[in-house]
Amino acid sequence: MTAADPAGISAAVRTDVVASVRDLRVYFGTKAGIVHAVDGVDFDIRDGETLGLVGETGCGKSVTARSFLRLVPMPPGIAVSGSILFRPRSQCTACGGAGCAVCENTGRVVSDCQHCSGSGCPSCDGSGVETVDLMSISERQLRQIRGDRIAMIFQDPGKALNPALSIRDQLGEVFFTHRSQELLDRAGFGASDADGAGVLVQRHAALRTRGIERMILAVPPLRGKRNALMASADDMIVDALSETQIPNPRKVMDRYPHELSGGMKQRVMIAQALACDPDLLIADEPTTALDVTVQARIMDLISELQERHRTAVLYISHDLSLVRRIADRTAVMYAGQIAEIGESEQIFRDPQHPYTRGLIDAIPSVTHERGRLAAIAGNVPELIDPDPVCRFASRCSYAAAVCETTEPALHVADGEHMVACFLHNAPPGTPAADLPVRARSAR
Amino acid sequence: MRRAGELTANVLSNPTTLAGLIIITLMIGMALLAPWITTPNTPNPTQMPRDWGAIAVPPGSPGHPLGTTNTGGDVLYGVIWGARTSLRLSLIVVGVTVTVGVAVGSLAGYRGGRIDEILMRIVDVFLSIPELIFALAIAAVLGPSFRNIILALAVVFWVKYARIMRAQVISVKQNEYVDAARVIGDSPLRIFRKDVLPNAITPVIVQATLDMGNIVLVGATLSFIGLAEAGLAEWGVLVSEGQAGISAGRWWASTFPGLMVFLWALAFNLLGDGLRDVLDPRTETSR
Repeated sequence: MTAADPAGISAAVRTDVVASVRDLRVYFGTKAGIVHAVDGVDFDIRDGETLGLVGETGCGKSVTARSFLRLVPMPPGIAVSGSILFRPRSQCTACGGAGCAVCENTGRVVSDCQHCSGSGCPSCDGSGVETVDLMSISERQLRQIRGDRIAMIFQDPGKALNPALSIRDQLGEVFFTHRSQELLDRAGFGASDADGAGVLVQRHAALRTRGIERMILAVPPLRGKRNALMASADDMIVDALSETQIPNPRKVMDRYPHELSGGMKQRVMIAQALACDPDLLIADEPTTALDVTVQARIMDLISELQERHRTAVLYISHDLSLVRRIADRTAVMYAGQIAEIGESEQIFRDPQHPYTRGLIDAIPSVTHERGRLAAIAGNVPELIDPDPVCRFASRCSYAAAVCETTEPALHVADGEHMVACFLHNAPPGTPAADLPVRARSAR
Repeated sequence: MRRAGELTANVLSNPTTLAGLIIITLMIGMALLAPWITTPNTPNPTQMPRDWGAIAVPPGSPGHPLGTTNTGGDVLYGVIWGARTSLRLSLIVVGVTVTVGVAVGSLAGYRGGRIDEILMRIVDVFLSIPELIFALAIAAVLGPSFRNIILALAVVFWVKYARIMRAQVISVKQNEYVDAARVIGDSPLRIFRKDVLPNAITPVIVQATLDMGNIVLVGATLSFIGLAEAGLAEWGVLVSEGQAGISAGRWWASTFPGLMVFLWALAFNLLGDGLRDVLDPRTETSR
């Protein structure tokens, strides 16, 4: 395995991948130097799976997640490179979204790549499926994907809802932005209404009306049409809220964020995120700010909705026991790089990277006898202009000479399981004395 | 904005704010009803009528309940029409300065970078000259007229709003709900209108209320030193007309308009403080 074939994935193209991160690098400029917050990250997210992304604070997991929607602020961000290839799905034409054999009951299908019509070319990464690079598309194209094909839930629902807007206005926004046609259909306005009034209502549904147009819509005879549009928006909002098991959605709709509990607010966020049936949901520690009891219910809700919508979830957390429970696959990040990635079961049962092992040993367990928890000695290294060496070496009990001179690449340990450590993948031509040895430090 | 009803109830529950509001209501009522309370002077109702038969008569004289000035100007007429002049002055100046200041501050704060740098340096130039002296200089160069006082105050006062708005926008746009709005695909302009502006505007509203009072105070200062037309029914002009008689015991011509300026500024300050308490719970104010 060489560095040129980073994740060992591109060799065999998979079409069930919804997004691929390729050599993602995000740098921040500081007075002390350039911080390599994310430094060459590769991974895939597959259809409908939950990929857990774990790591300590400051390891770059949130920055990675935010890169999907280009939310990394510039400045202080100074450079982003690499690509995030995303395969958006559109409504299945065979069944019109109702679910059939063609779309495997998801109601959504991938389309052929526009450049090669399905035969595979560089722009679709050889998959033949329509692919967009989230890193290079225009801001306008990206806005169409945001909230529609990719959604995000934030850590603190109390901060992620605008205090000045009612839940109705907050949620309605998504439908007016991405589902204006559906709003019009529900309200019974056909596309044939090409007269002034029809066009005005259509513009209003797409949030395109300006001051005077709004005034015209606020008075009869157009007031009725506007109200019908608003009523269909209300119906869609209520549907979205009911899905998250919020009691009394019609009442909650008129509330303001400060009148709701943390759990309720997170449900509203989830309703907003899943309103448009996204292909990918990014959950950035969605339960960290919540009570443990609420946390469990929110987790169950996300899993249930994920199942129903066939949404892939990128779940960011530092809570390993939570990730173990919900994630199909887990990626462990350390100091801006992926240390280990694979099936959650495999990773937690048989961690291959010394860092992962350290993290797992640090999980408190009720079955263990009382005593001090195992901690990983030392701190996360400075990410300012790092040398090309193993970043974990300074804290690793196995560290050998090669770890101080060469940077390990991800390497297949066992099937799906990949690890970036010289314990498993010695660079050719290295003297045996310089290599880390598994037995050197007994656990 | 949160619910308007809740907000109004909170404002009214504070007695000093309520007092301010009552004074303001009376003042504005007086200003609006001036042509019906008094007989408008012809041909120009903004000029005080001169009663050459009753010069410097004390309050309580027939036809002149608050007395007259050295030149026979009716003090009551000046006080009532002065409210009208003051209302016009403060509304125009606050309207213009808030609009310009909010626009400039928003642009600078929201866009940031070079635009911010350029706009804020311009603001710094304005801020480097003391308010009153700057307004005085502009009004003096333009020549004595009330219109020029309005212009001068508008030129001077907008920078404060630009500063406040910029700081607010910069702090509000860092909120996670702004990111959340980007995440659902909102355009920058829509995010500004929906998420940034409503959450950033409150200190501007408070400042605008306080300035409704301050501007009348500064305006009266400028007209007092003679930058408005002579004989204008305006409180500063009236105080200036009456000051010569104070040493001779004719206190009324200056006292009544002076009192009006005081009440006007006080009332808007009380209301402004009350609004601040309700709209911005973070600032602690003693009651």
